[in-house]
Amino acid sequence: MARLKNDDAQWIVLMGFIVSFSLFFLAILINQSTVVGQTTAEAVSEFPKNDIRGVRGVLIESTFLVDDPTHLFDNRTTVQNEIRTLALSRQNAIIGISSTTVGEFTYTEIHYNNGVTAYNETYTFP
Amino acid sequence: MVNEGGQLYTIEGVAAALLLLVTAYFVVNSTSVYTPGDTHLSDMQMEVIGSDALAMMDTADNITMTKSPLRQIVEQDDAERFNTLFPNTINARTEDTQDDIQYVANVTYVNPIDSTITSTHLANSTRPFTGTEHAVRVSRWVLIESPPFPEFSAGNTKGMHAVLVEVLLWRD
Repeated sequence: MARLKNDDAQWIVLMGFIVSFSLFFLAILINQSTVVGQTTAEAVSEFPKNDIRGVRGVLIESTFLVDDPTHLFDNRTTVQNEIRTLALSRQNAIIGISSTTVGEFTYTEIHYNNGVTAYNETYTFP
Repeated sequence: MVNEGGQLYTIEGVAAALLLLVTAYFVVNSTSVYTPGDTHLSDMQMEVIGSDALAMMDTADNITMTKSPLRQIVEQDDAERFNTLFPNTINARTEDTQDDIQYVANVTYVNPIDSTITSTHLANSTRPFTGTEHAVRVSRWVLIESPPFPEFSAGNTKGMHAVLVEVLLWRD
């Protein structure tokens, strides 16, 4: 390779490279940040926060109903079956609920699964 | 070559041109990505407003009242009251002017005769829902007694029933 005859402007060249590369990396940062914002917003929209809250609330409310054997449509079992059917058809979610009483405490297991998000909880009363 | 002075300047010139081009590409690309992210944010906001409004309507006025306004509305199929309470909540702003969010509300229940799912219209705003709107859906579970739906007219359907109030919200 031929020897450079004039190397006076080395600093100017170096600064030019530094400025170019910093601009380049800043552009990458700006680009990535908007993608991150979009995926975050999408993830928040798809996360069924309100569905889980609603199902949880109404299931806990339903555990305070009593079964009345004198009616065909006894309360608690009917209501929980209706919740299960409606959640499956309107919210694409599988709901499971079961209660066990140990001593004075009632443990209610709540399961929610819509294929993407699963939520499990054991609700203790009192 | 007769004269090879200024080779470094040429290399710098080519490199800077390439970098500027790539930078411009990235900048243009990133601004076009920004719009869909923005739409999701306003969807999220409207979803929060709607579910909060339903939560407020599903809260009884005081401790002596056992039924929340929303439960009374569903039990009596009271579209007029829904059309008063719901828009007042979702369209409220801190300044004087009201927002203009449109909605259509349905009640979904399980038919006690053959256990099918049935949706019935509850209330809607002044503008009809055509299906092309960019709407968000909010829902609220309500436990009701004596449902007003025709399938429940038989005497053996006493007791509580779970129904799902679903509201579509959109701006136009």
